[in-house]
Amino acid sequence: MVNQIQKKVLILALQAGELMMKSGAEIYRVEDTITWICKACKIPYVEVFATPTGIFLSLDSGSEHSDMHTFIKRIKGSGIDLDKISRTNHFSREFANTDLTIDDGFRILKEIADRKPYPLLVRILGAALVSSFFALIFQGNISDFFCAFSVGACSYILSLLLDRLDTNLFLRGFFCCAVAAFLALGLISIGLGSNFSSVIIGSIMIFLPGVALTNGIRDTLAGDMLSGASKGLEALVIAVSLASGVGMAIEVWMLLGGAF
Amino acid sequence: MISPFLFAFCSTVGFCIIFHVPRRHIIPASLVGACGWLTYIYSVASNSGSVLGCFAASCIVALLSDIFSRVFKDAATIFIIPGILPLVPGANMYYTMLAILDRDLDKTALIGTETLLMAGAIAVALLMVTSIIRLVITLK
Repeated sequence: MVNQIQKKVLILALQAGELMMKSGAEIYRVEDTITWICKACKIPYVEVFATPTGIFLSLDSGSEHSDMHTFIKRIKGSGIDLDKISRTNHFSREFANTDLTIDDGFRILKEIADRKPYPLLVRILGAALVSSFFALIFQGNISDFFCAFSVGACSYILSLLLDRLDTNLFLRGFFCCAVAAFLALGLISIGLGSNFSSVIIGSIMIFLPGVALTNGIRDTLAGDMLSGASKGLEALVIAVSLASGVGMAIEVWMLLGGAF
Repeated sequence: MISPFLFAFCSTVGFCIIFHVPRRHIIPASLVGACGWLTYIYSVASNSGSVLGCFAASCIVALLSDIFSRVFKDAATIFIIPGILPLVPGANMYYTMLAILDRDLDKTALIGTETLLMAGAIAVALLMVTSIIRLVITLK
């Protein structure tokens, strides 16, 4: 016999967990959030097992004749959206400490899920800021600054386009960095910058898998071996794709007879 | 001293925008990133090597993020992720790649190992600081 309330709690908790995992939260945070929500609805037995590609959740009401409910949620695609993590975190605490109903919970979660990132132009400006100031940090001068500014913006626009086309992780990193390196070499060969290394480093910084890398090692050291391995591998694949993109661009550039 | 701080601050603002840090947290999160980068620059300038530099800088980032997460009542991740991104060894990765293109395998191994160790140092520092803080709070 399926208990209706239990089922609703289960779906609510899984939705919150999925939202956090898709926004790039750590494993322990996802597991804690799900446990809090379930405990807030007075379910005595909760067991969660979260990995970056799926969440497993078991609930039992504890009485002798009750059936145990288990749900599996497959998680596809991930990005980083710290605003959603912050809001879901607040929501789970609020849900645990006040008497929000389950339907209120669904409504709030939907609002969080529908929140948009910053406007497109602002995000492109952000990417340009990252690459231009990193070019300055790595010994670039003022002309490299403007060079990196435009290269960073162009490669970020390309990454958004490839995102929309659902290309895989490797291809996206490869093409974005290859185009960035080509643009950097081209702009410098026509005399718009002086130090191509600083321009290329600046535009690589936008795509670096820093979050996957650190979260992966943290998860491993914390004992979540499976997700640690999966995030670590993700970081490795992205890093290899970026490096090979830049490498291929430089190699082709030299083959075409460009100055290096 | 002012210019690396300013450069790191501005690039962390960029990361905050890409990763959608809530608007009211952008300035503190960028401060975390800039302080981390300054620590790194100082450690490297005082000849302690880039791996140790990354470690020290990530400790500062984790500590500041914990303080800010208590002050602003939000998850520490919101400050940690933008804070560590300037430290992630993107430049070293690029130099490793250049060494591969030069067919210089000795140099590749040298810089590649350093890159991996720097990445490891960031993660270990974050984990250590957060666990020590948790330990201190439980013991109190």
